[in-house]
Amino acid sequence: MSEETILSTKNLTMRFGGLVAVDNFNLKLGPTDLVGVIGPNGAGKTTIFNMITGVYQPTEGDVNLDQKSIVGIRAAGITQKGIARTFQNIRLFKDLTVIDNIKIACHFRVQYGLFGAIFRTPKMKAEEKRIHKEAMELLKIFKLEHKFFHLAKNLPYGEQRRLEIARALATKPKVLLLDEPAAGMNPQETKDLTSLIRWIRDEFKIAILLIEHDMKLVMNVCERLYVLDYGVTIAEGLPSDIQDNPKVIEAYLGTDEELT
Amino acid sequence: MDYVAHLTLNAGTFIILAVSLHLINGACGQFSLGHAGFWAVGAYAGAAFSVYAPLPVPDFVNLFISCGIGFVAAAIAGIIIGVPCLRLRGDYLAIATLGFGEIIRILIINMDSIGGPRGFTNIPNWSNLFWVYLWVVITIVVVTNILKSSTGRAIISIREDEIAAESMGINTFVYKTMAFVIGAGFAGVAGSLFGHAQQFLHPNNFTFMWSVIILLMIILGGLGSTTGAIVGAVVLTALPEVLRFFGDTVSEWRMVIYSLILILLMLLRPEGIFGKKEFSLSWFRARKLTPSGDK
Ligand SMILES: Nc1ncnc2c1ncn2[C@@H]1O[C@H](COP(=O)(O)OP(=O)(O)OP(=O)(O)O)[C@@H](O)[C@H]1O
Ligand SMILES: [Mg+2]
Repeated sequence: MSEETILSTKNLTMRFGGLVAVDNFNLKLGPTDLVGVIGPNGAGKTTIFNMITGVYQPTEGDVNLDQKSIVGIRAAGITQKGIARTFQNIRLFKDLTVIDNIKIACHFRVQYGLFGAIFRTPKMKAEEKRIHKEAMELLKIFKLEHKFFHLAKNLPYGEQRRLEIARALATKPKVLLLDEPAAGMNPQETKDLTSLIRWIRDEFKIAILLIEHDMKLVMNVCERLYVLDYGVTIAEGLPSDIQDNPKVIEAYLGTDEELT
Repeated sequence: MDYVAHLTLNAGTFIILAVSLHLINGACGQFSLGHAGFWAVGAYAGAAFSVYAPLPVPDFVNLFISCGIGFVAAAIAGIIIGVPCLRLRGDYLAIATLGFGEIIRILIINMDSIGGPRGFTNIPNWSNLFWVYLWVVITIVVVTNILKSSTGRAIISIREDEIAAESMGINTFVYKTMAFVIGAGFAGVAGSLFGHAQQFLHPNNFTFMWSVIILLMIILGGLGSTTGAIVGAVVLTALPEVLRFFGDTVSEWRMVIYSLILILLMLLRPEGIFGKKEFSLSWFRARKLTPSGDK
């Protein structure tokens, strides 16, 4: 873990009525860290993502990006400040083309507005060209460039997952949050994804926070782990330490998860 | 004005209404049932200018100003209704906009200076086919250009998945309001043109039924297609006239026939005539390149 932090949370708490979905979660993420959040179903992992990205307002606690609080900023604003995410249940723009999915994520950085659009100004055309080029380059990285004109819903599952990561990266984030990116993938796809995630971190030099159920992926790829159970952080540390932590083993006992 | 010209002019008005609602409902996915309200605001605001404060300039310039006033008045109404209501979703937005349309009508009925319940008379006859279709072209070009731009992609992304759109850095509230206000504005232009063709406006011209019929137009054509909105507007303007050939009884059953058409459409082609496709010259090109037509 590097000394600086890019993203941190302090006593982050979320209550839904009587249920404490997340209880005093404290995160520290360095600018190029690759960190995992694991825990049984309903542990509160996705809720943490929703609080960081502004989908939910935390009941208590603070989220800091670059040492500045981002609590209360709407989700779009947080993305613009540099936190991008994917969703546990893929949320692509299904009826739009692959490339339009990417271009939408480029929108907030586009340098023309309504006037340029209506009058199709030279500036608009230049910007459209630039976005198109940028989007194609990104698709090439994710080996989707030959499908740029397909509808997103027609891609095979694994490619949809990849497209969603590509779309998040199109916002040029400093921090990337991946919510179970390997869910529903076969072992080969999961293996490819593992190296892809590491590659993204090295190539884009960003921090990645990863929620995952696939223990093999987590152990292979993450440098540090947070383990959640019923909203409480029951362990935190290196994957090798987590593996032998009795509390963690207990949390996973009785579920069909397996620590390998 | 003779019958065909009158009908063509009406079709033009409805094309503007349908294409502008298409921006709100088809492209942005916001279920609005208040379009007749914006139409009314534009009609009365435009007509009030022409009756009470026309400038000493040629008629067509006055008509143009009146259309501009119609646009601005309806757009302001769009902001007033949109800002609180666009936070609502689906059915709730539909109900809120429906209520707005009716409130507008009741406000008009209670305003004596614009005719109140008697109707607004003596509106100058400035509108004609040329000016109406000029505005049809302006509306189509503006809406199409918006939808083909980055702004348009932002608007469409809200229809596709609002949560994902917001997470991609798109302030969904801003873009929903933008689509809503521009759509309302063009409905206002249609209103002004309509008033200057009819020379008479009555609150009953703008009942909630018309919001439904405009909605039917874009659903018939294919929710999400500008071409579909245009075709839907033409078909549903012509249909009552076609029904009239079959005598009064058939004509009276107009709404029942609309419903039947809609039910059939939903069963046979739920995506509407055009689905989300647009008319483009490449249709012909593609066909030439691949004579088998399998492209
Ligand atoms: N909007 C909400 N309203 C009420 N309860 C919620 C809401 N969102 C989440 N919860 C509850 O909060 C708890 C944590 O949910 P969360 O989705 O964060 O779990 P998770 O760790 O992501 O689980 P999974 O592995 O199944 O994705 C669950 O008990 C869930 O039912
Ligand atoms: Mg989850």
